[in-house]
Amino acid sequence: MLQDAAGAVAARAVARVDEAAVIRAVQRGDQDAFEQLVRSYDQSVLRLAMNLLRSPEDARDVYQEAFLRVYRNIHTFRFDCSFHTWLYRIVTNICLDHLRKRKVRREESSVVETSDGPVDRMDSFEEEGSHSDPERTLWNRQLGNRIDAALGDLTPRERTVFELRHYQGLRLRTIGEMLGTSEEAAKNCLFRATQKMRGVLGDLV
Amino acid sequence: MNCDAVTKSIALYCYGELAPDVEDRVEEHLDACSECRGELEKHKAMAAALDRHRISPPAELLSECRHELARAIYREESPVTRRISSDPWALFRDAFSSLLHPGIRFRQPAGAVALVALGFFAARISGTWNPATTLAGFTPDAVVSSIRSVLPDNAGRVQISLDETHRRVISGRLDDQNIQRLLLAAAREQDNPGVRVESVGLLKDHGGTGEIRSALLEAVAHDPNPGVRLKALDGLKRFSADGDVRRTLAQVLLKDQNSAIRIQVIDLLVANQDPSTVSVLQTLIGKEDNNYVRMRCRDALREMNASVGTF
Repeated sequence: MLQDAAGAVAARAVARVDEAAVIRAVQRGDQDAFEQLVRSYDQSVLRLAMNLLRSPEDARDVYQEAFLRVYRNIHTFRFDCSFHTWLYRIVTNICLDHLRKRKVRREESSVVETSDGPVDRMDSFEEEGSHSDPERTLWNRQLGNRIDAALGDLTPRERTVFELRHYQGLRLRTIGEMLGTSEEAAKNCLFRATQKMRGVLGDLV
Repeated sequence: MNCDAVTKSIALYCYGELAPDVEDRVEEHLDACSECRGELEKHKAMAAALDRHRISPPAELLSECRHELARAIYREESPVTRRISSDPWALFRDAFSSLLHPGIRFRQPAGAVALVALGFFAARISGTWNPATTLAGFTPDAVVSSIRSVLPDNAGRVQISLDETHRRVISGRLDDQNIQRLLLAAAREQDNPGVRVESVGLLKDHGGTGEIRSALLEAVAHDPNPGVRLKALDGLKRFSADGDVRRTLAQVLLKDQNSAIRIQVIDLLVANQDPSTVSVLQTLIGKEDNNYVRMRCRDALREMNASVGTF
């Protein structure tokens, strides 16, 4: 058992060393290493963008812009924080820009008008734990709409902190680092976000 | 701590973000107060509902994002290609310049040739063969492979005959032989390691045919991308007793620059021990820089009752 644990620690250490080697290779201009780096993180980046922006088009834009920024600026990465933190700082900044612009444009809804009537673009995306029972599906959809509305009430920063803490499981200290703010400020953001969510969803859960 | 303070702390308590002493006081209060325990349950129910509402991006979206990123990077690398997609007229200017300066050529993805060659049966697989939407007579995703002729007239116009490659979407079952042939071609797609990773990852579960096993051996021994080599290695696991596979793995172990791959190869070779494994591991240990790999080698040799060094 102890040997297994030691093996896991050693494997993680090797993974960290390997990632540093990959990043250095990218900094030297190795395209394959860049591809490897992208593939290590791109699923979680897309998931973060998708959950934050609730729009596949915007998530696609964020994905592209974020990894292009990484590609152009990787030479400035000095290993003074983890690559994960550095990458997520880029992603959350782009997402925050999108959310702020959206607030200005008031285009929060994922519902679009089509010739067949209003269609929610997010309906085509699978929610985790979705159910085959129609009654349950209807209930889930109602709840989903309320959750979307509740998320829409959050400020871009509250929404980002909430997403990073609740869905990505990051510690508030790391989130503060990513967003260029203190742990205390991130804590206050999370508190306000959960209060607002409770206000909107309290009677449904 | 009173109810008001505890209620305000419940969210942070659930996320494990309270200072230890505050957390202790909240727990003390919760033990004694059923009303606050009710608040805690409500918060947990909300968190569970939010968990269920988490959106999972579909695999196709991820695949499209990767493809678009590869294209964007490709454009960044090659200014000629960037102009192709943004300005059709720039294409013609560049085409002329490439004719005038034969050293400058359009970079054409090698895999595109393979896919064109496979086009006939690929068309039969999908049953549909929809070309991309045209835009002013020029397809946005078109890549020029070669200029066939340039015919100027007296009115200042020019007629240019060119070959284009277009993106097509083919779908079919993984056990379909034609799909497997396309995947074999994609596994050798030189310009796109992402495509190779994906293809080798799919082929590895169908390594029963000699052709696929050969492709996996070729990938593990020669692919420049460690991600592709790891996938191929994964596919070769169930053939680790096969002589050809073991010979290739021994070569990989001694020459691969990636320590994660060397570690996996050691595991595979040790799983089916033969006398040659000992000499390969002894050779490796003599030149290995990575401490962890050396440790694995030593452990493997000990398990085989072999000495660490050669005498």
